[in-house]
Amino acid sequence: MNLRIEALAEVTYVIPEGRLDFDAAPAFQEAIERVLGGAGKPPAVVIDGAALEYVSSAGLRAVLLAARAAQRAGISFALCALQPAVREVFDLSGFSRIIAVHPDRASALAQAQPGRT
Amino acid sequence: MDHSSVSSRARAAWAGLTLPAAVTPVRQVAGLVAAKVRAFARLLVEGDGPYARAFENLILALIVFSVASIGVDSIPGLPERVLQALRACEIVIVAIFTFEYLLRIVAATNGFAFIFSYQGMIDLLAVAPFYLGGFDARWLRALRLLRLLRVLKLQTHVLERVVEERTRELADKNAALEKAQAQLKAELEVARSLQLAILPAAFPARPGCQGAARMIPATTMGGDFYDFIELPDGQIGLVIADVSGHGVPAAFFMAVARTNLRELAVRHTDPGECLAQTNDTLCAQNPLDLFVTVFYCILDPRTGMLRYANGGHNPPYVRRAAGPIVSLDGAGGLVLGAMPGVRFPTHTAQLLRGDQLVLYTDGVTEAFNAAQELYGAQRLVDEVHVHGSGTPAALVERICQSVTHFAGAAPQSDDITLTVLTWGAP
Repeated sequence: MNLRIEALAEVTYVIPEGRLDFDAAPAFQEAIERVLGGAGKPPAVVIDGAALEYVSSAGLRAVLLAARAAQRAGISFALCALQPAVREVFDLSGFSRIIAVHPDRASALAQAQPGRT
Repeated sequence: MDHSSVSSRARAAWAGLTLPAAVTPVRQVAGLVAAKVRAFARLLVEGDGPYARAFENLILALIVFSVASIGVDSIPGLPERVLQALRACEIVIVAIFTFEYLLRIVAATNGFAFIFSYQGMIDLLAVAPFYLGGFDARWLRALRLLRLLRVLKLQTHVLERVVEERTRELADKNAALEKAQAQLKAELEVARSLQLAILPAAFPARPGCQGAARMIPATTMGGDFYDFIELPDGQIGLVIADVSGHGVPAAFFMAVARTNLRELAVRHTDPGECLAQTNDTLCAQNPLDLFVTVFYCILDPRTGMLRYANGGHNPPYVRRAAGPIVSLDGAGGLVLGAMPGVRFPTHTAQLLRGDQLVLYTDGVTEAFNAAQELYGAQRLVDEVHVHGSGTPAALVERICQSVTHFAGAAPQSDDITLTVLTWGAP
């Protein structure tokens, strides 16, 4: 998995590319911690899943931990632009019911509210 | 001090002989003095103590200085003042070297042996030209360079000894580490066999019901599990589950989840209620924030009635004896352990004679091959479709083979777990 971070004024995008699995989960968690604990605290964090091809159960756990950490920090957290296969994993596991999932960046940004996860 | 006492002191100091038991008080005192002098000499020229090191460094510096001064000395036309200073230095240096030479003789266990040793000869040659004086033997002073070599050689010896010691220490540590690792590995093996041992070996015997299951862990410790639970009213509970991640934490969580579910299944005959209770229990004892996907169903073996609830798990398939394959995809709830207070709807499905229920974990459908392709649900459905008419054990075996064949040389990244149940088989 590769990971890019795009810090804009109103939102910080975390963009994982490839597979978010057992091996990639620690790097993902570390990146999220860096974003959430960074100097300029972002008002919202959105995981852009456009290039995310696969999420394993360990990857789901990493996303769940990220959502919880964001909630604790009072930062809005959401997912967007998930590929169909990944979206299915979030639906199946029930995660899309406790973590906001948006079709694209625009709607994620529109609905980003501080504290909402 | 009389003559004999001086000579005996010298003997003792030079040849390393100890004085015979005190013959006279004077000899006694002389012996004591000799011992003190030798201890002082040893302090300065032997061993690795701070005094010895400082003294050695002083000698080293003097050697370098003295050799350099020979070079300066040979420059023609130097002012008389410089030459005088050099001569004064030479006298001091020779005095210190001589002092050192005497110390070494005194410190040596066998003084004579030292004098005639290679080291002793070099040390003597370093000062002898000065005392011979009569003829110009200044060039002989260059021999002091040999002393430098000697000291350096000594230091190399010390260095080699240090390296040797460190190497040995490292080897010892490595051996200890290897031992610890072997022990850890052995303990993991035991844990693994314990884990596999809590998976049921056989399906509960019921007329007309056949079941088979298999779990192939990805690492030494898996997070998947399946279970057959004999319920009090003669019904059978079937569980298939997948804990997030793998390794020891996942295995522990698996054991906790399985035990809780098994206990609660006996008290809660509604699958959804049983999952809700299990979820709340797991949330209360989940320090690592792990979670587990669980599909739980209760089969009435007499009627073929199936009641099920799903906690974030892949929906199982039912292969109808008549042909079609359907998915038990009634709306499910969240994975267990992620959030307390979640509800899990219970759904029902009616099995007909010869129908086959196929439970699996994503280790099957999400097996990758070397080209990074997914095995996928369609391949599983095809296998079930083609080979489902045989016994459950044969189908489990067939699917496992198909997955391992597909994955080829690619490493197995997730546990592979399958449970197949045939109801009302002839």
